[in-house]
Amino acid sequence: MTSATNSTIENLADAPAEDRLASAIGIVARQFPDRTAIVAQAGGEARRVIDYATLAQAIAKLEAELDAARPLGIVARAKRVESLVVIAAACGRQHVPVAFLAEDARDLIGELQDWIAIDDSLALPAASPSQPRREFESVPPQVVVATSGTSGPPKLVDHSWDSLLAAARLAEQWHGLGWLLVYDATRWAGLQVWLQAVLTAGRVVVPASRDPDVVVRAIGEEKVSILPATPTLLRRLITSADRAALAGLTIDRITLGGEAADAQLLEQAKELFPGAKITHVYATTELGEVFRVTDGKAGFPAEWLSKPLPGGVRISMRRDGELLVQLSRDTAEVGTGDLVERRGNRFEFTGRRGDVIVVGGAKVYPKRVEELLRSVPGVADARVHGMPSAITGELVAAEIVVSDPLPEPSTADQVRTAALAVCREKLEPHAVPRVLDIVKKLATTPAGKIPRR
Amino acid sequence: MNVTSAINAAIEQVLRDTAREVRSIEPGMRLAADLGLDSLDLAQTIVLLERLLGVDPFRQAAADAPRPSLRTVSDLITIYSAASSHKP
Repeated sequence: MTSATNSTIENLADAPAEDRLASAIGIVARQFPDRTAIVAQAGGEARRVIDYATLAQAIAKLEAELDAARPLGIVARAKRVESLVVIAAACGRQHVPVAFLAEDARDLIGELQDWIAIDDSLALPAASPSQPRREFESVPPQVVVATSGTSGPPKLVDHSWDSLLAAARLAEQWHGLGWLLVYDATRWAGLQVWLQAVLTAGRVVVPASRDPDVVVRAIGEEKVSILPATPTLLRRLITSADRAALAGLTIDRITLGGEAADAQLLEQAKELFPGAKITHVYATTELGEVFRVTDGKAGFPAEWLSKPLPGGVRISMRRDGELLVQLSRDTAEVGTGDLVERRGNRFEFTGRRGDVIVVGGAKVYPKRVEELLRSVPGVADARVHGMPSAITGELVAAEIVVSDPLPEPSTADQVRTAALAVCREKLEPHAVPRVLDIVKKLATTPAGKIPRR
Repeated sequence: MNVTSAINAAIEQVLRDTAREVRSIEPGMRLAADLGLDSLDLAQTIVLLERLLGVDPFRQAAADAPRPSLRTVSDLITIYSAASSHKP
């Protein structure tokens, strides 16, 4: 039994960070054993409900096995969210390092030599006699998470439990809420959602798919009130899901992250969910959460560049427009790869450094072209990317989804022509898309972002 | 689709997409002087032709191969006919 036996989740923050997840689940399991912790396959045929008591039992069993085997580290190979929760909680409290590798980061397992993989069976494989064991407790337990690979191949990043849980909100107003999990549960953004939900006796609702109608059904049926998503996923929900079903939802909070949110999307979200508080979180897998913008406007206030932000974070801009972050006085300034530009009294994100398309030597920021395309009547959504060209190096290529129904009396082809005309009027010639295809659905990366290549 | 009609269709679409007058295209026409195609137009034509014909002779060409002359519509026809016949 741990020191947290008689405590409540209100004073969870007093426990060491690595114990908190297992402690929180244990506390809820004792007080409300049947309370739902996870709804998997929500909105689908194979809906599954996992309660806190079930989680607590599985954690106790795995903890006993970890205690006996003392592995060097555990690689969470499980697909189900409930398994990931159990593995994280048990490893944390047993001081065993744990790694979460998303599908596209599986090749990196070679870097975690002699760590043991656990899948959805939640059983430790029988230890071979040659298996190295952990001898000392001196090394602080770590959590390894792979980056999403938005700007380069995925890589492994080491975190402490303290940094993993730094952004979690434990105050009472956050208790017992329903959280939508549309992110990959093994990535930083997904981990943040289910950790937050389970630490505060809430429900993690995982839709059966990312199909907008399934997601809307899951939100409605499972009474989700908090919707963390990338702007790309929210935009798809707003433009493609059934309007009546969307309007019937009661969302208290929308937390956007992973990509920059543009003014148009923020406006649409405000209009559709007038009661929702819309927050935009700026975070990276390497740095964790850096800051959050809560005024519902795109970008962030310009004065933030000249003063310390909550938590002692300082941000600045390199001459080429790249946003730099210094987490604290003792840490180095880090380039983020995100480009910002001053517009009035705000700084707005213009795109990622690696996303810039170079056409005949001239730079094109795909995000700007996308925003322009989305402003054309009849265009529901757009994606802009670079296409290799032997003549100009790269060419701007775009895909658009036309709205359904189309504004009268136009056809899809007329929307395409109008979109090209708007681009010619507002953009430099090299930035006008030279390939413009009408598609039913835009591609998204596993992290729920817009693929740029 | 044969090479000549694919080239005509591609150039027509480039002209239409850039809101220029679409006229009948003759093999003897010069790409820049007669049709007004700049390098961006040409790059777009090559992408469209790859979709229509399944080849991009400019990308597939070895880096040290001599650059074929590319001045007229008929140069395009020659290059794409050669590339299409070598298609595996």
